[in-house]
Amino acid sequence: MDRDSLRREVKDLLATGLRLQIAPGDIPDDAPIFGETLGLDSIDALELVVLVEDRFHVSIPDEEVGRRAFGSVDALVDFILAERPG
Amino acid sequence: MITGVGVVCALGGDVPALAAGLVDGRCAIGPLTLFPYRGRCRSAAQVPEAVPAAVAALPLATTRRLSRPDRFALAAAAEACGAAGLDAGLRRRAALAVGATTGGMFETEEVYRRRRAGEERRFRLSRLLGTPLSTTAAAVSQALGFYGPQVTLSTACSSSALAVALAADSIRRGEARVALALGTDGLCRLTYAGFDALQALDLDRCRPFDRHRRGLSLGEGAAALVLEDAEHARARGARAHAALLGHGTATDAHHPTAPHPEGRGALAALRAALAAAGLPPEAIDYVNAHGTGTPQNDAMEVGVLRAVFGSRLARVPLSSTKSQVGHCLGAAGAIEAAVTVVALDEGIVPPTVGLREPDPAWADLDLVRTPGRRVPLGAALTSSYGFGGHNVTLVLGRAEGR
Repeated sequence: MDRDSLRREVKDLLATGLRLQIAPGDIPDDAPIFGETLGLDSIDALELVVLVEDRFHVSIPDEEVGRRAFGSVDALVDFILAERPG
Repeated sequence: MITGVGVVCALGGDVPALAAGLVDGRCAIGPLTLFPYRGRCRSAAQVPEAVPAAVAALPLATTRRLSRPDRFALAAAAEACGAAGLDAGLRRRAALAVGATTGGMFETEEVYRRRRAGEERRFRLSRLLGTPLSTTAAAVSQALGFYGPQVTLSTACSSSALAVALAADSIRRGEARVALALGTDGLCRLTYAGFDALQALDLDRCRPFDRHRRGLSLGEGAAALVLEDAEHARARGARAHAALLGHGTATDAHHPTAPHPEGRGALAALRAALAAAGLPPEAIDYVNAHGTGTPQNDAMEVGVLRAVFGSRLARVPLSSTKSQVGHCLGAAGAIEAAVTVVALDEGIVPPTVGLREPDPAWADLDLVRTPGRRVPLGAALTSSYGFGGHNVTLVLGRAEGR
């Protein structure tokens, strides 16, 4: 899967998986996922770990990895491309 | 004093919509569409989904996870507080009593459905946050800024009648000058399939007090009443819509679902409520019945009323709100208290919609049919009887000067 379609898929997952009141296309590429823009909290963080692990078959075992993976949509795309099997 | 009322039910999302539905004698029981269901019954008084403005006051993350009953409750609470003119300072010190029976059960069921259907591989924490009954009080407090004493009650179908009673008690004890009583419940598979399995549902629309009544219709919604110390209300120039004159509570200790055949607890609750109000039965101008439409309930209830009112019962208008909005379970007591307040405030007696052939045993009674009546009322009572024999009666009176 190329980078652009993976980015789209990540944004869809964020919007539908976390039931955001924002269109996937309006989620910024480079802003922190847990910043002000999306209004997410610590429960969303737990949720997102589960959603990303299940969808992309990667592992986010601790907070340190999580901080890196969820730095932004682009950072998450990089993380998935680097970590996912095959 | 009752200085504010708010409501969400199948008749509409605020008090004007409710009042219009009562006057028009509209029945809001229709097809069940909230979830697929393959049992015997297919009808319910469902609330059309809308996001109330009060939800916007909450942080986004909280808003997304509110259950339907919590959204109903927020809308009703915000309307009642607005009607009463409660500013942030008054809300801050107000007490809160919530009655409910199934909380976020519908959303919880959806979590299991998704998992079983393979839509989700793991249980999702965020979708279970609305499960406990206590989330309603938390959401309302957070959105509207209630920092006073709070309690969440669950006594089956009398839960929110009890919330009204205990909210009044908190004022009488001096814990608060203002208290919000709230009832909320949403349709879900658990209660729908449960009542269906008990064969307690009318397959069409419920017909309380009819000779052909077959059972109840389930509904959903919320209602909120602002109760306020009379002096406090007068001092700040608040308009009273009605007054809560007294309440009574008693238990059957008889059976998990059936009422005591002679209505032992219901009778004790009714007598206690009249005694607390200091009123003889002759002072009651309208009875807003529990009136579920099951053969057992209505027979028990008329028996209890006959025991208290004697032959005078023939001259007391009697009707069931459940014929219009279904049985809203944990929300029923508060919704019916709200209906009784509207009846006293507007001088109307709402009808039992769908009542065509009154049970011949009650041919002497004043069972009000569509289209209802316009008549000034001085005092009225509303009763709620819950599974397990939890009985509550509220006596309400027209506000002074009305």
